[in-house]
Formats: sequence, C-alpha cells, structure tokens
Amino acid sequence: MTSTPSARARAGIDWFALVAIVAMGAAFVRAIVFTPPDRLQGFAQKIFYVHLPSAWVAFLAFGLTAIAGGVWLFLKDPRLDRFAESSAEVGVIFTTGVLISGPLWGKPIWGAWWVWDARLTLTLFLWFLYLGYLVLRSAVDDREARARYSAVVGILGALLIPFIHLSVYIFRTQHPTPIVANPTGIQMPGVMITTLFLALGAFTLLYVALVRARMRLASERDALLDQAAAESTP
Amino acid sequence: MPDNAIYYQVAYGAIIALFVGYAFSIRLRRQAIARKRRDAERAR
Repeated sequence: MTSTPSARARAGIDWFALVAIVAMGAAFVRAIVFTPPDRLQGFAQKIFYVHLPSAWVAFLAFGLTAIAGGVWLFLKDPRLDRFAESSAEVGVIFTTGVLISGPLWGKPIWGAWWVWDARLTLTLFLWFLYLGYLVLRSAVDDREARARYSAVVGILGALLIPFIHLSVYIFRTQHPTPIVANPTGIQMPGVMITTLFLALGAFTLLYVALVRARMRLASERDALLDQAAAESTP
Repeated sequence: MPDNAIYYQVAYGAIIALFVGYAFSIRLRRQAIARKRRDAERAR
C-alpha cells in the first residue's frame, strides 16, 4: 500500500524528513559502533561527532537568517521573513545542542563543565542574541515592522559568527583550534573524518527538514491571521 | 584509555531528546493552528 503526498502531509512527515532521520540514525550508529574511541581522550571524544556538526549548522542557520533578512529589506517578500524566522529558531535549537554537548565534553577532558574563555562565552552570547531575536518577533504584532526589526537584529547577530570562529586564534582560549577548518589540513585519522563528514551531512539534512517543517507552521499561522483579519474587516 | 563513556552517552541522549522535542513542538503548534482554523470555520 502506498500513501499519497496529501496523506503524508496530513501525517506531518515528508520524504525529506524521512531521509534526514535515516541519515541521523546512520551517523549515530557509525559514531557509536563503527568509530574507535580516541587513544588519549577515550570515549568522551565521540561527543565531537555531535558537537561540531551542531556548531556548523548553528552558524549556517544564523548566516542564512541574516542573508534572508538582508534580502527581505529590499524585496519585502514574506517568504523570506518566514524563512529567516524558521532558520533562527532552528539555529537556536542547534546552538542549544552545542551548549549541552560542549560542557559534557569539557568536564572529562578539561576537568570543568564551563570556562569563561572567548569561544564559549561568545557562543553563549550568540545563543542569547538569537533568543532575543525570537522574543522580539513575538513582541511585535505588525508584520512588516516585525520583519524589518528582526532583519536588522538577524544581520547584526550574524556578525558574531566570524569572531567566534577566529576567537581561538585572537585570544588565548581553553577551546582548541579547529581540527577540520585548519590551514594545515585535517588532523584526524581517516575513519574519524568519514564519521565526522557523515554527521555533518546528516545534521545539515536535519536542519533543512526542520526549517521546512517550521516554515509550513509559519505559513499556516500567517494564513490563519490573514483569514481572521479579512473576516474582521467590515 | 580513560573510562568516560557516560559523558558521550548522555550527550547523544540529550541531543536526540532536543531534536525530537523540537520536532514534536512544531507538530503540536501546527495542530493548534489547524484546531483554530476548524473552530473559525465552524463559527462561520
């Protein structure tokens, strides 16, 4: 028996979400079962396969939020605003993942759940900033004003991203320098690199699936508000 | 090699719970909108 697209839509699951779930499952199984632990750090090093992809997706999400907001300022297309809103919310979720997995890795390796070094502190500020972005959106009723204010905040917030990336070079930090985006090349065994790139792909697919779902929610909410406004107009 | 598997197990569990919880929140919010739309159509 095959289900129709409308039946799948009613069930709230689309093909892209299914692909993302399968990819995430594959990444977790490979990381847990088929990737050896690090000789020095032990099993705690496996946190790397969720920590770095979460950070990558968070930066991608906030970068795209800024771009969508910037383009909205010129085109005023509501779809861009809905995308920016959705990408920012999903970015906050992935940043939450970074802020959960980081301390769980730091405790066994550094001996501390948290240190106030530049990389960690700026990441926490990024999280607060985009939480503020979401609170701002919920506080403004006028749709055009909300899109304009949030576009500006989204663009300014994304300016933190290069500072976060470069913070390990600019400041003396507890956080190590990048292992993948390193000018001297990737400093890891092949089996770990494969797992990392599988996880990066899976997390990126999950980002797209979640943004698609969140945009559907935003479209349905706006349609409901439009309908209510049309009915209240005499 | 240090015995610290519990940290990655907790991290993986927390990440999965975070994503599943967020996906579920989207689903609940969509259901709430659909309910409001049905109520509005019924009231018409």
